[in-house]
Amino acid sequence: MSTDRSDSDDSARERLIDLAADFYDQFAAGQIPEMELPTRTKSNIEYDENSDVWVYGDRTSTRSANSVRGARKLLKAIYTIDFLADQLGEDRSSTLRELYYLSESWDNEEAQFSDQDESNQLVEDLEIVSEVTREDFHMRPEESGATLMGPLYLREQTRRGEREIHCQKDVGEGGYQIPNNPDTIEFLDHDAEFILCVETGGMRDRLVENGFDDDYGTIVVHLKGQPARATRRITKRLHNELDLPVVVFTDGDPWSYRIYGSVAYGSIKSAHLSDYLATPEAKFVGIQPTDIVEYDLPTDPLADSDINALESELSDPRFQTDYWREQIELQLDIGKKAEQQALASRGLDFVTDTYLPERLTEMGVL
Amino acid sequence: MPSLQSTLDDEGVADELAASQRSISIAEFFEKNKHMLGFDSGARGLVTAVKEAVDNALDAAEEAGHLPDIYIEIEEVGDYYRLVVEDNGPGITTEELPKVFGKLLYGSRFHKREQARGQQGIGISAAVLYSQLTSGKPAKITSRTQGGEAKYFELIIDTDSNEPEVSVDETTTWDRTHGTRIELEMEANMRARGQLRDYVKHTAVVNPHARIELREPNGEFKAERATDQLPAETEEIRPHPHGVELGTLLKMLEATDSYSVSGFLQGEFTRVGTKTATNVIAAFTDRHYGREMAWRTPATHEADIEAAVTEAVANKGQAATDEFAGRVADAIRDHDRLAHHELATLVEHAAVATTDETGTTFGDTVQEKAVAAAWTIVRDDRTADLYTLTDEATSTRKDDGVIESFAERLAAKFDGEGQVRDRLRRETLEEYVERAAAMTAEREDVSFGETARENVADALWSVARTVPDDPPNVAAVADDRDTASALLSAMSETDIIAPPTDCLSPITADLVRSGLEKEFDADFYASATRDAGVHGGDPFIVEAGIAYGGDLPAEGSVELLRFANRVPLVYQRGACATTDVLKGIGWRNYGLDQPGGSGMPNGPAVIMIHVASTNVPFTSESKDAIANIPAIEDEIELAVREAARELKSYLNKRRSMQQRQEKQDVLGSILPEMADKLATVTEREELKIDDSLARIMNNVLVERRIENSHVELVVENNSGTSASPELTEIVSAEPTSVSDGARVVEMDGEWFIKWSPEVGSDDDSVLQYELADESDYDLDVTGIESAKLTVNT
Repeated sequence: MSTDRSDSDDSARERLIDLAADFYDQFAAGQIPEMELPTRTKSNIEYDENSDVWVYGDRTSTRSANSVRGARKLLKAIYTIDFLADQLGEDRSSTLRELYYLSESWDNEEAQFSDQDESNQLVEDLEIVSEVTREDFHMRPEESGATLMGPLYLREQTRRGEREIHCQKDVGEGGYQIPNNPDTIEFLDHDAEFILCVETGGMRDRLVENGFDDDYGTIVVHLKGQPARATRRITKRLHNELDLPVVVFTDGDPWSYRIYGSVAYGSIKSAHLSDYLATPEAKFVGIQPTDIVEYDLPTDPLADSDINALESELSDPRFQTDYWREQIELQLDIGKKAEQQALASRGLDFVTDTYLPERLTEMGVL
Repeated sequence: MPSLQSTLDDEGVADELAASQRSISIAEFFEKNKHMLGFDSGARGLVTAVKEAVDNALDAAEEAGHLPDIYIEIEEVGDYYRLVVEDNGPGITTEELPKVFGKLLYGSRFHKREQARGQQGIGISAAVLYSQLTSGKPAKITSRTQGGEAKYFELIIDTDSNEPEVSVDETTTWDRTHGTRIELEMEANMRARGQLRDYVKHTAVVNPHARIELREPNGEFKAERATDQLPAETEEIRPHPHGVELGTLLKMLEATDSYSVSGFLQGEFTRVGTKTATNVIAAFTDRHYGREMAWRTPATHEADIEAAVTEAVANKGQAATDEFAGRVADAIRDHDRLAHHELATLVEHAAVATTDETGTTFGDTVQEKAVAAAWTIVRDDRTADLYTLTDEATSTRKDDGVIESFAERLAAKFDGEGQVRDRLRRETLEEYVERAAAMTAEREDVSFGETARENVADALWSVARTVPDDPPNVAAVADDRDTASALLSAMSETDIIAPPTDCLSPITADLVRSGLEKEFDADFYASATRDAGVHGGDPFIVEAGIAYGGDLPAEGSVELLRFANRVPLVYQRGACATTDVLKGIGWRNYGLDQPGGSGMPNGPAVIMIHVASTNVPFTSESKDAIANIPAIEDEIELAVREAARELKSYLNKRRSMQQRQEKQDVLGSILPEMADKLATVTEREELKIDDSLARIMNNVLVERRIENSHVELVVENNSGTSASPELTEIVSAEPTSVSDGARVVEMDGEWFIKWSPEVGSDDDSVLQYELADESDYDLDVTGIESAKLTVNT
């Protein structure tokens, strides 16, 4: 997708204006302008067998100018379309938070956002109806993207021109910073065997310090908790374009399983982009509830919210596999959870010398 | 203080005491009890005097069929106030006039059962008395009957004899053709100005047919007529059986021409026909004579009735006796239960039949013997019978043995003296049960409670038979208080339909409304008139009205107007049943503010309640507050709630119109902005969004489409309910082929085309016509609230 920039910008702009034109036509025909969106809840995502990811189902909800609420939403949408179209025309970009503050400057108070959730959601809505990604609108999230480290040589399109970077030799200990729109990257060469996505910074640093990326030809992607879109996107591209297996290494608690879920199957909020972001072939390394038992790891008891989350995962369509049902039920049974760092109870090298090689062999990655 | 000497002499004390005993005149009584009649203070005395005079004036004018025209004037004259009240009534004859004004308790209405403002005949003469007591001046009265000369009187009341004392009696001139004018001077003050004005204003509300003018030192008030319709004339009715007391009943019994109680009931009471009279008399005989216990008849194998009867009959020949005994036995077996008088009747029938068959006569003596013999057998097994009845009537937890011993004891009571026929009154029966139960409870050490006793007495009383004896005649009833009391109880326990209501003259819901409209400038009015109810034999009707919004003060609690027989009640609001009822209603349900959820509601509203009755129950003689009678309170509540429901739906509608208006305002600003922005973003021409707006507002949208000479008016109903607008299209050329049966009227070169389509919810209707020439169009749409209508032509 790292094609000619202005082409993709033009098409994004065109799609936004087409959207506005739809509203215009509805008005002109004397109808009530409305916008139809898929219902964004857990019950309305379904498995797409063609792409092996989870996408929105058939249920839709309508934003209509019929009500004061709906009319305000549509007005904001049109103002946002206007803003985004201008931004694309001028080849500028902005963050989601900037959009929220920028709305304060709009002449019509009714069009201003009341909080950032509202503006974030509206951008997602526009992504869905225009079928253009936020990145192509030149909208960035606030937090800087995560990092990766490994035997990978790439070329990034930056504002200061093209840069060719080797993700071990040309970067510091912190690794290569993933840009907000990874589609501007071109992979040149690599020496990797597989991609290891790691949830916590502590574990990522441990792996880098122990030289795990060198020893096993691993591209270590730091997820930084729930992964940003860019992180998920680059993971998917690495998998698709370099044909590398992807494994996910997280804590052993329900929230971490969801991190794996969003890497592998797509998240509920961005199920419209699952095709673009999710890597269905990604495998879960651990910490698995069976590991807690097997390696006798130090644990914390499950909190009530953990139990609720586990139970909710049992009804989450993304976790409807024998493997996950078994693991979740086991965890509910033992009532315990463990962090990645719990492996340090067996020594600092245990994770790189024993746990990961064993697990990865077991999974057929090594 | 009697001396020691006289205390010893008893007769002396009595004489001394007797010397100080004397009758007091009604006027003296008044002097000491002014407060009872509403003359307790100068301020209040004036209001009461106005009230009495105006009530009389209204009654007088209405009775004569004139629309009342009343003039009230209050003027300060030295130390006193002068009150003048003039009416256009029929006037009072020279003979009657002194008594009407100069004699307490003289009036035409006290004995009538008819709705009227005044009743006791105390009112105006009490005002005269009050005036003469405080100022010493006589009452000055002018009266003129239709076609007669105007008469002028000055009079006072002789407080000893309660008779008028006329000092001036002369002919005078007066500009009114008929009517009465009374002028009183009295010690008073205007501190109760508020109440006085309220009284006059409220009188105007409930008497929309009257014109009332008040002039007082500080200003004047005028209430014009809202209707030319006099209140319906009321009919006097006879008393209702549920509404008399023993004293009245005794008087009526003495006065009647009827011989029989049945005739008396039908002749003297309302709503009593043959059937009701029969029911009352049955209840009366039950009370007067008692009932006869009916025992379960014995089965064949238990007792040989035939043998007993045969034995009782002597010298009648074998065949005839057998025949007779057989008939008696069969007849007895045909009955499930049998009372003594029933047995006597069936024996008599058997005797007659046997005589017809065999020719043998069975005379009275033989019959009596046969009855006695059969009765012994019938009542023989009463213990078992009582056992069954008791067992059914009491709870299942009672032990069989207990019931058996109770039944035995109860059966024994029927063996007392004079108990041949087992005839007894309810009280006696209850006493038997009581004693048997008490004894059983004591001996068997079990409980035999109040309820169980009552149930048993009820069960027994219900199988007992009313006796066929004729009730005592009127004279006998009138002579004996107990008998009369039994008759009264019988009357009150019998179901009798409610008294007729043509003796009442409600204001009617429409006039309540126009009365409120006339005196209060509000946004909304509702009213309700209930059907008549009955309290103690007196019919009553409750009406309620509510005025809301407009100029009514929004702060504080609502204003309550209370009326009894069209008379405003001014004082003692807190003691009035109407206030209690109002406080008990949950006004929040009806859209009024009510702090704490009970008590008087707050808000810009006036609530009026009118109770009309042949006898409005007041808490006191001053007639300021309606007594808390449950039947009346219920009706007041229903009437108020009925009117309040209308208020609620008005307020809801107003709220939803407000919301609609708000929505329209917000959308009215958002959507054009949206359209502008869209035009900018898409770089297209400006948008017209009226149609979209109309659809969004669930409005009725009217659009005109023109194609050459063909004109279409499209009425599109986007609302949830069907709409029936009226469309009038005014064109400057003659239209043809007008659709949908529209009317076309030409006036001064303009053609008015009028359609009244009925357009269902989410439906549309196309009205069309042809127009040959160039023409102007002008469309007017009515019948739809403007907020809900978008005309886009």
